[in-house]
Amino acid sequence: MTGAATKTWLTDWQRRAFATPLDTALTIGVGLILAWLAWIALDWALLRAVFRAEDVALCKEANAGACWSVIDARHRLILFGLYPYDEHWRSTLAAAAIIGTVVLSCIPWFWTATRITATWVSGFAAYYLLMEGSILGLPQVTTDKWGGLSLVLFLFSSVVLLGMPMGLGLALMRRSRLPLLRLVATLIIDFIRSLPLLTTLFTAAVVLPILLPDWLQGDKIWRVIIAFALFFACYQAEVFRGGFQAIPDGQYEAGRALGLGKWQILIAIILPQVFRHALPATINMVVVTFKETAVVIIIGFFDLLASASAAFGTGDWVAYYMETYLFVAFIYWAFITSLGRYGEYLKDRMRQEEH
Amino acid sequence: MSILRSALSAAVAVTGLSVSGGAALAESPTLKAVQERGTLLCSGHNGSYFGFVEVNDKNEWKGLDIDLCRALTVAILGDKDKNQIVPLSWAQRFPALQSGDVDVVIKATGWTMGRDTELGLQFSNPYFFGGAQLMVRKDLGAQTATDLDGGTICVAAGTTIERIVADHLKSENVEHTMVSFEKTAEVIGAYKSGRCDAYAAWGPSIAVLLANQFEDAGDHVILEDKLSAEPISAAMRQGDDEWVDVVNWMLAALLKAEEEGVTQANVAEMAANPPNPTVARLLGVNPGMGERLGLRETWAREMIAAMGNFAEIYDRNLGEGSPYKLERGLNNLWSNGGVLYTPILD
Repeated sequence: MTGAATKTWLTDWQRRAFATPLDTALTIGVGLILAWLAWIALDWALLRAVFRAEDVALCKEANAGACWSVIDARHRLILFGLYPYDEHWRSTLAAAAIIGTVVLSCIPWFWTATRITATWVSGFAAYYLLMEGSILGLPQVTTDKWGGLSLVLFLFSSVVLLGMPMGLGLALMRRSRLPLLRLVATLIIDFIRSLPLLTTLFTAAVVLPILLPDWLQGDKIWRVIIAFALFFACYQAEVFRGGFQAIPDGQYEAGRALGLGKWQILIAIILPQVFRHALPATINMVVVTFKETAVVIIIGFFDLLASASAAFGTGDWVAYYMETYLFVAFIYWAFITSLGRYGEYLKDRMRQEEH
Repeated sequence: MSILRSALSAAVAVTGLSVSGGAALAESPTLKAVQERGTLLCSGHNGSYFGFVEVNDKNEWKGLDIDLCRALTVAILGDKDKNQIVPLSWAQRFPALQSGDVDVVIKATGWTMGRDTELGLQFSNPYFFGGAQLMVRKDLGAQTATDLDGGTICVAAGTTIERIVADHLKSENVEHTMVSFEKTAEVIGAYKSGRCDAYAAWGPSIAVLLANQFEDAGDHVILEDKLSAEPISAAMRQGDDEWVDVVNWMLAALLKAEEEGVTQANVAEMAANPPNPTVARLLGVNPGMGERLGLRETWAREMIAAMGNFAEIYDRNLGEGSPYKLERGLNNLWSNGGVLYTPILD
């Protein structure tokens, strides 16, 4: 920041906060309260806190603050769920592969159909091969042992990855000129949207195995991912529909006048604009989906929240549930903030492209 | 009658037929499936349930219910790790059982009529009794629930506990005010802050709380009154009687071992030198334990060697060896003042 900018900022601040004696009093008063709260939080979370698992006895002392010993002792449970202890490096690498895939696909260079497909396919293959293990000659770990943060990342990215094209497909079907396609899309979207997510997932996890023949059941995790993706797709389809509606008919007519085919118009003219219009709502959907993965705890998945509650769910650690929840909240915050920042960056970038 | 029976057994002995043979040799579809699969599918939890289903620092399951699953695994497959413990929520446990996701639900599950009939389940003999109890401050001087006349009782809303406590106090003609809260943490907060005279909850849960969330644990006391005794049993699918037999005898063998003083440490010695015919049969020295259930003759010996007897399993997970230090109480053998008993091993 340059000197001049600092100065403007300062005067601006002065004008807003210290204009009248009352404003000054309010500013100082609120500032003091905030500082006091910050001090209490800092004092509790850091200054008087106990950090090492071996020092847990200190947590019981009267003036002890936060007891981060629970994180020291149980972080592997929180991050990896029931994944076998000696194989945690695999779960770490697998989670890194998913994060890497997401980060790479945020980079504009990867935004071509082949590159993005290759990235996602290899990222997911890496995750699955590492986690499951038997194909790579590692000890097999079945999906009921997958858990913690790496399961949340996998669920989230699979749902978005499958749900996004499905959502686009449904949106296109809903705008189709063929009445049958339109009807089918409308029925699917309205039906799924009228069900709570939990019901949809419960059906996929628990009811389907009773109805379906054995060979069609597959693993519970895939049934749940497909159901979740369908749920995501139905909402995302409506987001895309909003994007489509923002585009004036004149553009289609102009495209036809230039002699472009239906698909050419769609891909070259319409879709880029649809994505741009739908972006803020899409980021919203993605963030909500990340958090909603926590619902799978109800159908018996050992996700981040389940493993956190298991982490303090034993006699030795039950008193420190607050610290455990704060740790999990921090993880969620870190991921969701990154998603949000990325959304902002995309919006800026697209605005530049418009000019 | 007895003449008829002896005549019948004589006839059976002579002809080599067994009256019960048809039933004993009928194969349990679940047992057969488990043996073919080589893996027993048990119920876990989506998180943890103190003392019954937990996860240790090495990301492995532990707890009373988990140990019973492992004992069953040893009984059937001879290795305590040949099982898959499927994490299930409370709501999911019975549908998962019906759909075959698990072979048995051992998950702090109460034996109720509705579950037994409408849900199409079959229950084992109870292996644990837990019920509603009341905790009060010592300085209140209350000895039993009747001393709470005119008092205020805090309870979590919408649980069976609320109704059980209200019914009990009504039958004892105790005037009281019931204050219910949505969350357990709120109930405890209210009790701690003196908002109410007593805290009502599931007995084992109170003990866990007292051990861990009360700095002044010594100033509180759990009243003797057991307002209810909910039998906790293993749940299985209806219609597989032989499978229920296997689970019942797994539990019976653990209790019988405790009764006879067979422990993890002395089981080999006991098997080499059985003190009485019951132990000899239990440990497979004399035949009879295995064949009648479709298992190996020595299954109980292997099970005790791997997991210990019922007392050892209890102590490790809920009793002295655990952070909870929960008294056996009702969950002792009948001979020690509890209500657990074993069928006769003949």
